[in-house]
Amino acid sequence: MEPDNTVLDDYILGLARRPMPRVCFLPTASGDPLDHITRFYEAFSDLPCEPTDLSLFRLGRRPVDLRRLLHAQDIVYVGGGSMRNMLAIWRVHDLDAILRECWARGIVLAGLSAGAMCWFEAGISKSRGPAEPVSGLGLLPGSLSVHYDGEPERRPAYLAAVASGEVPEGFGADDGVGLLFREGRLERVVSSRPGAGCVRVRRAGDRALEQPLHVDLLADREPLVAVDADVREFRAMSRFRAMRGGG
Amino acid sequence: MARRPQIVAFGGGGFSMEPGNRLLDDYVLGLTGVERPRVCFVPTASGDADHYIVRFYRAFPSSVCEPSHVSLFRRDKGGGIDCDVAGHLLAQDLIYVGGGSVVSLLGVWRAHGLDDVLRRAWQRGTVLCGLSAGSLCWFQEAITAFHGRAARIEGLGLLPWSNCVHYDGEPGRRAEYLAGVEDGMTPGYGADDGAALHFVGSELDRVVSSRPGALAYRVEAVEGVARETPIQAVCLRDERDLVAA
Repeated sequence: MEPDNTVLDDYILGLARRPMPRVCFLPTASGDPLDHITRFYEAFSDLPCEPTDLSLFRLGRRPVDLRRLLHAQDIVYVGGGSMRNMLAIWRVHDLDAILRECWARGIVLAGLSAGAMCWFEAGISKSRGPAEPVSGLGLLPGSLSVHYDGEPERRPAYLAAVASGEVPEGFGADDGVGLLFREGRLERVVSSRPGAGCVRVRRAGDRALEQPLHVDLLADREPLVAVDADVREFRAMSRFRAMRGGG
Repeated sequence: MARRPQIVAFGGGGFSMEPGNRLLDDYVLGLTGVERPRVCFVPTASGDADHYIVRFYRAFPSSVCEPSHVSLFRRDKGGGIDCDVAGHLLAQDLIYVGGGSVVSLLGVWRAHGLDDVLRRAWQRGTVLCGLSAGSLCWFQEAITAFHGRAARIEGLGLLPWSNCVHYDGEPGRRAEYLAGVEDGMTPGYGADDGAALHFVGSELDRVVSSRPGALAYRVEAVEGVARETPIQAVCLRDERDLVAA
């Protein structure tokens, strides 16, 4: 969801098994604000997919069967925000279990920031102000710290937490970097921007060591199935109707 | 002087639901006994929705109080109070909790340790109030219908009773509440939109209302059958007219 740069989103869509994958956006970590949801639709409406969103704070007006909705997706795309709040809300809605089921069924789980770290055993969150370790869902072994270049206060907190053993060894990822895991193993590191890096962080005695990983810069606009203007308009109308009907 | 713990649980109403009717909001401001009370809005149940926060500041302008809000979703971005949330809440005269999802509200509060902070604020005499989710949360048990079908949940338990809001406005809640009480749920109170339950300590002190006809009910099981006993509400409009006269 980087403005004017869709290569990471294109890459995620390419991982799905269907040519027009169903993508569900989960904006829980930001409290489901409309502008965040709108930005998702703006980013994905022009891409070959069927976008939808699940707003847990709007279930009062739009009750849905969470399990059925998420099981029917090809991709679940998790937005950024407060990792601590997101996981607390997921747990009270049983979404931690449902997302684990999705993963086991082969649904692609993706996300940025809180939506990236949540899949690991631990991440570095600023949900309470200072950067500090927070436990994740633990689908993936190890830990992840995001915005490694963009928010410099995270890196020392992460290295200290790995050095002390508070969080397991893991990865530090710059903005624009994506880590692809298959069956729980790191397969590839990709990026949308030249120069964006990723390090593996290991514990050696009471220190944390960073080792740079090879990053594949994704080609600009990897060609995918084009969506013509009529399809875009139809989708926009369907969403409008769904919003009016549901509201 | 030590202040008594007080909670005002709205069945519905206040600036969130009754634009132009200030009676319930003025009532809770008055309970603080302070000329310019410090009032903190906690919109967690709405996901800290911007439009809701703006409406709060319009309803509680700095001409009548010292307003602030706590945003638990944007603590790293300087939204509202971003440093010492516990210290800020403990320094308030009134904490006003907004509506939305009570299940998400309680989950997030626990993740931030706010359940404990709010209990301490209450014990120290900060008036706690709210509507809908912001009413249900204070009780031991409650009925939520946010996710479609009405269902039982456990709240913070500051008040050793159960609670059901929008008692007249959403009939599905009442039916589920009566069934729950027959099924062993803690006895408690149902409140119509516009009615507010005012507790001093853990006991109900009085029921006030912002509109004529809004009622509250004591709900308990008697020999296995739910019994509703209407409680007369003091209509704040009449009370204000009396004072004015």
